[in-house]
Amino acid sequence: MKTQKLFESPSHTWLMFGRDEDKPNEIIDTNQYMVVSKNNSLLMDPGGIELFSAMLAAVIKQVPADKITHLFASHQDPDIISSLGLWDQALPSATLHSPWLWESFIRHFGMNNIKYSAIPDEGNTLKIDGISLDFIPAHYLHSSGNFNVYDGEAKILMSGDIGAALEPVDAPLYVDDFDEHIGKMKMFHQRWMPSNDAKNDWVRRVRKLDVELMCPQHGRIFKGDNVKRFLDWFENLEVGVLHKT
Amino acid sequence: MSDLSQNYFVSVAEIAAKLDQATQIAQQLSLTASNARAVALRAGEKAAGFRPLTDFIDRLADITIRSSKRINKLAAILSQTSAEKVRADGAMKHFNSVYILAKDSPFINSLDKVYLRCKSAQQSLDNTYKKQIDQLSDELSELSNELRNAVILATLSRVEASQAGSEYQDALVNVADNVEGAAGKIKDHINYSQQMVAELDEY
Repeated sequence: MKTQKLFESPSHTWLMFGRDEDKPNEIIDTNQYMVVSKNNSLLMDPGGIELFSAMLAAVIKQVPADKITHLFASHQDPDIISSLGLWDQALPSATLHSPWLWESFIRHFGMNNIKYSAIPDEGNTLKIDGISLDFIPAHYLHSSGNFNVYDGEAKILMSGDIGAALEPVDAPLYVDDFDEHIGKMKMFHQRWMPSNDAKNDWVRRVRKLDVELMCPQHGRIFKGDNVKRFLDWFENLEVGVLHKT
Repeated sequence: MSDLSQNYFVSVAEIAAKLDQATQIAQQLSLTASNARAVALRAGEKAAGFRPLTDFIDRLADITIRSSKRINKLAAILSQTSAEKVRADGAMKHFNSVYILAKDSPFINSLDKVYLRCKSAQQSLDNTYKKQIDQLSDELSELSNELRNAVILATLSRVEASQAGSEYQDALVNVADNVEGAAGKIKDHINYSQQMVAELDEY
């Protein structure tokens, strides 16, 4: 499991964990993100159950366990949060922020100790040590209750499955050639995202944000102009289709 | 690692299912007891020797139903405990590998409290699991002993049936066959469960 620092300021740091060479071949590689502030940390989309040991080992190299006070699950999928039953034992005093829609489903992963903080459909803001982290609605992209995390100070948007690409574990961290990258994203976005209306609504809102890094849960990170290129491409993409060549 | 150590919770669920079947057969035994009483009543003096046996069949049915329900409940609780044990064992495996993977981390000790708590929960589940296995084993032995009486009861019923005259003989022999058949089936389930429980106990 590789750890990469994406942003650092006196108030907080963004870390990315991923490119796990030891993961089983049959499962998809995932990116996990963590915001570390003075006394707290928010771990986003902490991953599948089979990834737990590698993830906790990577995280514990950065911060002590009791500093991981918040978890975030953008939606209900197993590659996002099936490790919850284990985090529940490792971090009994933490709070999980996740869409209200999925609470009764997500609890099936095993949740006896961690507190569930249900995010309303319109989103809300989590403040940790003076840092504002906004939960931005991204419903139907690709889950019916779904959120991104936006940090206005770091100009980072953790975009979940939006911008995801299916790649090998040794793929570079950042998108270098956007046009070449389209081939790795197109089918995924068309098949897994069902609503053009929802997509265009999301694009309109994200255009108003100041985004320097757009960080998806699979594949490479979009930086600078590639964020705008992604929004343009996505806006023109017809989604919710089974097969389109 | 043996198959059983990996799949013991499946074995426990299998035992629970077997014992559920045994409970259903025990209900049949109860019907047989009612039937025996009705035939004996109709036969009057001709089945005078059979009548006391119907009380024993009734008692056997009652004991078997109550006992198999109790065993069934125990097996269901054991199944729940074993599923929790699998989860706790899995968590410990994960935590152990974190200690190896992050051995150089300056914060590795921050996991100690969690580790000890999970270890203690795992130990407590282990103890509960063993206690429940013993309880189940004792209950199974007790029921198995009770079912031995079914063979004697069936033999006595056949003897009395032969005295009842041709009009009622077939019906009473049928009662004896049903008692023996149901008890035999329940015993098969109990034996199977006892073998499985013995294996789980060793594990």
